[in-house]
Amino acid sequence: MWARVVEFMLACWLAVSPFIFQYPDDAIFFWCSDLITSSLIAFFALISIYLPLRKMHLCNLIVSFYLIAVAYFLKESPLQGALQNYVVLGLLLLMIAIVPTDADKPPKPWRDFYHR
Amino acid sequence: MKQIPLNAIPEPWEYNPSKWSQRVRIILVASVAFFIAVYMGLYQWRLIDSVWDPVFGKQSMQVLDSDVSHKITSWVRIPDSILGALAYLGDIIFALAGSTRRWHNRPWLVVVFGLDVIPLGLVSAILVFMQGFVVDAWCFLCLVSAVISLVLVVLAYDEVWSSLLFVYRVWKRSKKFSVVWDTFWGRPSKIAHEVGSQMARRRDWRG
Repeated sequence: MWARVVEFMLACWLAVSPFIFQYPDDAIFFWCSDLITSSLIAFFALISIYLPLRKMHLCNLIVSFYLIAVAYFLKESPLQGALQNYVVLGLLLLMIAIVPTDADKPPKPWRDFYHR
Repeated sequence: MKQIPLNAIPEPWEYNPSKWSQRVRIILVASVAFFIAVYMGLYQWRLIDSVWDPVFGKQSMQVLDSDVSHKITSWVRIPDSILGALAYLGDIIFALAGSTRRWHNRPWLVVVFGLDVIPLGLVSAILVFMQGFVVDAWCFLCLVSAVISLVLVVLAYDEVWSSLLFVYRVWKRSKKFSVVWDTFWGRPSKIAHEVGSQMARRRDWRG
């Protein structure tokens, strides 16, 4: 469960990043990107808490690849702070997103195997 | 079917390499390296003016501002120290995840943890030691973090070994790729249970 909490906190950080890194008003792509990706990260983290959807956090892997890819494709952008933020968040999310929701217990299939 | 206890001790060890006391040691050591790497990263981001070095003095800053360092930064888009900090943070994240029987029921997690600690740790340590010869300057904190990387390899290899041994024995027993694949990804099977039981049986468990 802690991994989902960390993902949610990363989403919050990404949501406030435009203000921390002082994006100019005309950087519409970055404003929209931060808003959409932070919403997606939070959404996938929160719905993974619901047992039947417990593996949905893996969708955050796609978001992490997107964040890293943006930093590479837009490397000439003047918003270098924002791009470095993307790389750090992308790599961090890549590691957190593969941690299972119920990581402190044996996997559900093994628990079911022993209790059937 | 009798469940393998969470604190079962797998071959070839006299202790459970997945137990919390083992993993907390790794977390504490990796945390020290993480803070050292972040501190050097703050200098590379120019958020602090200098780097503390009681042995080599200003050579640390030469290393952190070297062409090699700038080259790595241009490849990975972030300062190399921050990349190192993320790798140590990965060690902490993967050490925190999983039960005390994860060598058996989540081999993939132990292997990912092993990949983060062992090859990455060895490569980063070799790069740091090479830096002295390529850049012709030494950095005390870089050397400390390289030594910590090697310590982490020693602390982490036992669990990885048990997991790989478990998966290998499942392969030897089943000779089926599908069974090994399922076992690796934490899906149960009678064979995986039996092999896990045999690995733990001789130590503290009678199945």
